[in-house]
Amino acid sequence: MTAVLSTHGLIARYGDFQALYGVDIDLAEGEAVALIGANGAGKSTFLRAVMGLLRVAPDMVRLKGQPIGGMATDRMVQMGISIVPEGRRLFTGMSVEDNLRVAVDQAQRMGRKGGWSLARLQALFPILKDKARTPVESLSGGQQQMVAIGRALLCQPSVLLCDEISLGLAPKVIREIYAALPEIRAQGTAVMLVEQDVGLAQSASDRLYCMLEGRVTLSGRSAEVTRDQIGAAYFGGSHAVV
Amino acid sequence: MQWFDALVQGVLLGGMYAQYALGMALMFGVMRIVNVSHGDLVILLSLIGISLASSFGFGPVTVMVALVPLAVILGWLLQKAILNRVVGDDPLPSLIATFGLSLALQNLMLQIWSANSRSLPGGGIESKSIQIGGIYIGLLPVIVLAFAIGLTFALDLMLKRSRFGRALRAAAADVEAASMTGINPRRVYAAATAIAVGILGFAAVFQSLRSTVAPADGGAQLIYAFEAVIIGGMGSVWGAFIGSMVLGISQAIGFRIDPGFGVLAGHLVFLLVLATRPQGLFGKG
Amino acid sequence: MTSIPISPASAAPAVTVRRQTTSGRIALTLFAIAILALALMPWWAKTGTIRMVLELCCYIAVAQMWNMLAGYAGLVSVGQQAFMGAAGYAMFVLAQTFGVNPFLAIALSLVVPAVLAVPCYFLLHRLDGPYFAIGTWVVAEVFRLVSTNLGWVNAGAGMSLTVMKDYSAFQRNIAMSLLCAVMILLTIGGSYWFLRSRYGLALIAMRDNPVAAASQGVNVKRLRFMIYVAAAVGCGLAGSVYFMAQLRINPASAFDPMWSNLAIFIVMVGGIASIEGVLIGTAIYFVADRWFGAYGASYFVVLGVMTVLVALYARTGIWGLVSRRWDAPWFPIRRHLILKTEEKP
Repeated sequence: MTAVLSTHGLIARYGDFQALYGVDIDLAEGEAVALIGANGAGKSTFLRAVMGLLRVAPDMVRLKGQPIGGMATDRMVQMGISIVPEGRRLFTGMSVEDNLRVAVDQAQRMGRKGGWSLARLQALFPILKDKARTPVESLSGGQQQMVAIGRALLCQPSVLLCDEISLGLAPKVIREIYAALPEIRAQGTAVMLVEQDVGLAQSASDRLYCMLEGRVTLSGRSAEVTRDQIGAAYFGGSHAVV
Repeated sequence: MQWFDALVQGVLLGGMYAQYALGMALMFGVMRIVNVSHGDLVILLSLIGISLASSFGFGPVTVMVALVPLAVILGWLLQKAILNRVVGDDPLPSLIATFGLSLALQNLMLQIWSANSRSLPGGGIESKSIQIGGIYIGLLPVIVLAFAIGLTFALDLMLKRSRFGRALRAAAADVEAASMTGINPRRVYAAATAIAVGILGFAAVFQSLRSTVAPADGGAQLIYAFEAVIIGGMGSVWGAFIGSMVLGISQAIGFRIDPGFGVLAGHLVFLLVLATRPQGLFGKG
Repeated sequence: MTSIPISPASAAPAVTVRRQTTSGRIALTLFAIAILALALMPWWAKTGTIRMVLELCCYIAVAQMWNMLAGYAGLVSVGQQAFMGAAGYAMFVLAQTFGVNPFLAIALSLVVPAVLAVPCYFLLHRLDGPYFAIGTWVVAEVFRLVSTNLGWVNAGAGMSLTVMKDYSAFQRNIAMSLLCAVMILLTIGGSYWFLRSRYGLALIAMRDNPVAAASQGVNVKRLRFMIYVAAAVGCGLAGSVYFMAQLRINPASAFDPMWSNLAIFIVMVGGIASIEGVLIGTAIYFVADRWFGAYGASYFVVLGVMTVLVALYARTGIWGLVSRRWDAPWFPIRRHLILKTEEKP
């Protein structure tokens, strides 16, 4: 399988502090890959680096083989990478529909075509239709997460990066959100799930990577890695391939 | 009657101030930048307009047709050459850069046009007035107010309904998240400043028709725009419009009390609003 | 956590804090000599020179006050002339109207900017970042307009300090010289002392990261307020001294925005958040003013363009570029930890 998105020895820093030490991760078309690890392992930093929000060398990130590392974030979106950012980052003061329309507008402007429309999204998450006129800040956490996912999908991505979309949500809401995953993948979109909940990550993904202190410590097929292997990779130990 | 007249004149004066305030509210709302040379740009455009009128015999309408596109280009250049490099969390770089620009512009104008006051000949329109119930209302101030209302309405509609307006509001709310939906912040910023300065193209024509302009006048225009924005409450164009009305009325009433008290009355109302309602009359919270 | 070896309390400390450097000691000596030279001006300088030096000292004082505000407290003001004019007027009223000894009047006049700064700060601190700056300008305009309308300061026509005629030229020179020395000692020496005190550490922490400083127990709000009032008093002193030397004051000169232009140019070109930068910037401004001042408007165009360029490309100014290459501060405020273990026998 050829990779849609791949990183090659990805290194990233915050000022003097090095946060990633040569990370190699790849995603294939339509694949769901989970990225797990403890707090501060570098998962969110990895996503920020891929999105061009941190300075990285061009060769370190490739989209369908093309070097794209360090390009401006809006260019990344234009080329087909979307992110559901940590903390959702919705546009406050704007209605649910306007939040989503921003993405529709930009996809139109950039000439990105894909299977997602406002109507289809509202069919996937009916609440987005019922609350279309409501200001986003008055929505519940789960509903806000649906807006954030919707906004990312309306950019018509070929790669969707999700940063801790289950964080702080009730189990019922998490199930509701994860139930949308098959439909997203059916579109051919590759999905990367950054997750704190290991069980959830394992069940929702084809493959997983575990990070520790800025390095990948475990990678393998989600169905085949054992709890013990994850435990060792989570808290220390050498890189194991299963 | 005298006070009612002051009120009417104040509203008309507010129409002038609104044309300065809209651009300032827009730029601060989107980039959290105050362009210190805002007023100097009005004066620069006015002086260019006056020179165009005297060199080519342009009437006010022709001057406006020439000046507004020029203002748009000027705004776009200002953003590309200077403001895009200083926009950020720290307010100091943008303030210092635009402060330096203000100093340079003022003195450049002084060299080109000398310190004399000039005005734009309006072909009689500036002296026409209509009498309604014992109050004389100048035709030109009414046109200025009508333009101010039109511009506020158009700007508000653009922000709420258009693709660009949504991108602008998104960038104002969270610029990083906006870039994650494919918005190029620098392009949005350049367009916002182009619009803000473009509006000053209208303001310049009306300012030089209504009264005189001289190179040193920019500071006062900046302060009036600023006071209108703060009085009205940040973050809404109608807030800036209403703030302009309040400022205009305060100055007109102050002027009736004592001619030396007009501008001061405006400042005092501004300070009063700051003391009692710092979020502005229409601000949230 | 990185571990720092800490010796037991009974033993001699293994670490000493070095707070002074060779360059600092040389500069401090020169500073002391300069203060002395300022105080002794009547015995080595002509009246014209003394007046020129007095003007220079006012520039340094005002620029350093602006530097404390913008460089350390994060308060960008374009209206410090409000306090210069207020103190200047207070001094004129005390000396001319009430017959107070003019030199005592200067000291008393400083109460006015201190008292006025309190309500001003409480109004202005509600304004966000850049809006604060324009707000300070409005305050200066209010002061100017009030003085223009105030009969007992002779409204727009202004006042003259005719009481100075009671003193001989030599006496006036002594007074001006002593005032210069005191002004520099208070603004430059005072700032240096303040920056080296525990407040200084807090201030630097605040400049680098206000949120982090607040979480470390630094009372950011109170410190900002203190600096705002202190800067008002410092500018007031410069105003009182300047207008005493001018012998005349009127609303347009007292609240002249030129002082803000000058302070911003000096600090930004010299190097913000450093005393060295203020001295360098003042020297540049002073020389440029003497040489190119005659060119009037085109000279100010160049100053304006230079300010823009500094804001765009060299935010740390000349001193920032110098100190990146040579680590020889004139006014060191950093603390160096020196491990003493290797010196032990």
